[in-house]
Amino acid sequence: MPRMATEAKLSHTAAMILQAISAGFVYGFSIMEMTGLPSGTVYPAMRRLERDDLIRSQWERQSIADAEQRPPRKYYKLTTTGKNTLEASRKRYPLLDRLIPTEEARSV
Amino acid sequence: MRLTSDFVFSPAQRSLICAVSVLVPAAQRDDWRREWLGELWHVRHSLVSIDETLSFDAQREIASFCLGALPDALCLRRQSTPSSAPPVHVHGSAGQTLLWLSAAVAICAIIARLLPGVEAENQAARSLIKPNVLLISEAVSDSAHPEISMKLIRNWQRTRQRFFQEMAFYRISHETAMTANPVRWNVAHASANLFALLGVPILFVEPVDGTAADLTPAVLSHDTWMRDFASDPHIAGRIVRTASRKVRIAGVAPAVGWQLPGAPDVWLLESERELAADTPAGASGYLFAQLSGRGEAAMLSADATISARDAADMAIDLYGAPILAPVEGPWNLYEFALFLALVALPAVTSVSLGESQVSSHRPSAKQRMWRFLFLAGKFALVAALGLYGSLDVAYFSFSGYSPFAELLQLFACFVICLMGFRWAIADQRQRCPMCLRRVTNPATVGLASRTFLGWNGTELICMGGHALLHVPSLPTSWFGGQRWLYLDSSWEFLFGDSYVY
Repeated sequence: MPRMATEAKLSHTAAMILQAISAGFVYGFSIMEMTGLPSGTVYPAMRRLERDDLIRSQWERQSIADAEQRPPRKYYKLTTTGKNTLEASRKRYPLLDRLIPTEEARSV
Repeated sequence: MRLTSDFVFSPAQRSLICAVSVLVPAAQRDDWRREWLGELWHVRHSLVSIDETLSFDAQREIASFCLGALPDALCLRRQSTPSSAPPVHVHGSAGQTLLWLSAAVAICAIIARLLPGVEAENQAARSLIKPNVLLISEAVSDSAHPEISMKLIRNWQRTRQRFFQEMAFYRISHETAMTANPVRWNVAHASANLFALLGVPILFVEPVDGTAADLTPAVLSHDTWMRDFASDPHIAGRIVRTASRKVRIAGVAPAVGWQLPGAPDVWLLESERELAADTPAGASGYLFAQLSGRGEAAMLSADATISARDAADMAIDLYGAPILAPVEGPWNLYEFALFLALVALPAVTSVSLGESQVSSHRPSAKQRMWRFLFLAGKFALVAALGLYGSLDVAYFSFSGYSPFAELLQLFACFVICLMGFRWAIADQRQRCPMCLRRVTNPATVGLASRTFLGWNGTELICMGGHALLHVPSLPTSWFGGQRWLYLDSSWEFLFGDSYVY
């Protein structure tokens, strides 16, 4: 059962990871590259976010990976709870959008 | 990726991830390993240079990535356990500090318990010779060698005593004894009542039966027992041959032998008849006399000049001096060192705890009480550390009582207590008054060149989000000491709580 309520607080690190996923950086290494955080921080944080139902993971289809001659990736995406929590975190950390702009913001 | 060394690095990196995967719960292990190995491929791919090699910097980066697998695996493991409660912040907490101090005290106490010198000093302090026992010497003799002739003793013993209720005597002879090896001993031929008169208990005494009961009982000095009998606690009853006869070891004298003249290695407790038979003409020895109540009342100073008359009514001038016991004992030394450390404390640090604040908010009475109890606890543990730590330092290289070891103990105890109290106060100043955690993350605030325009110094923060501590780098008339700035609840979101990750 998820432990985190919608209004629960996120650390700046967790908020950055949510923002990165929301911005389209949807697998571990791309999140590391975007946020500049080390693997020992990013992956455990994602486990907890997934445990608390803020994000959800899904394996890429093997055929796509085979076509690109690489191993398949595990993709992450925000849940509805995660989106609401991220929205609350953006109010708390106003610079989050500037640090990691979303695709919409980048296209403007 | 044709770097020769990559043939080593690549399998090592994959092996590391596979090895760490053992920590992951079995149900998630395959999925976890697949994700990490896939991510490793992407990391390596992104760092490959144009000539398809990996530099050492790239290898270091990849290794750093792989090491991140460990906290991830541990995180999953913690999540899988039923009691995956949020971690409690114990680093720098009051409980952790008291725990470390208690552990240090316990270790020092255990070491002190194992050191034979500490036990010897305790014994020496417990087994002091009775204060009303005088060592008698001839008034004309050198007090450094207070021997008295046997003839004089006999003459004096025969007269009626008004001020002394009991007497004991021993004389020293140098004899070779057969223990495991032949050893040269200072053998004291003593009155049977010697130890009873001195008030010194004999250790390891056991009941005697059979033919051994007829042998002369011998009491070993503490040093002899440790040196020649390897501190054997079952020494009582053993038969030892000296130059003149076989003797039965009746026990061991506590570490008080140094108080008695002649440095005896063993006392043979002989009957009056044996003493009279064995003592050669013209021999001399040491006479101890116990003052009666009347004698104690008549003794005006520490030393006594005795004008006695022998059986032939001839005047004898004797001199009686109490057997001074300079041994202080560990407890007396400790109390003195503790007192000195407390007196000297204001000279090495300010005793102010820096309780002033800039906001109107104050900690509750309960929080203030906990803060005081925490300080008292630290002082108590430091004081205990001073006792046991100084004993360890003093008796680490001394197996028996030594005046030098006592001096070392006094000095070590003073230093440990003084420095410990200084640390306790300095530590207390940097503890949040609300939660007793140490403030962290020091930040320099202001410029020294603008001292008259604004304060400059260091700002530290309580990780519980309760307060900021401002410490001026240059005390001024308007900012002389550290101050606490308490934070209200609107600041809470900046600080960690159980759900922040």
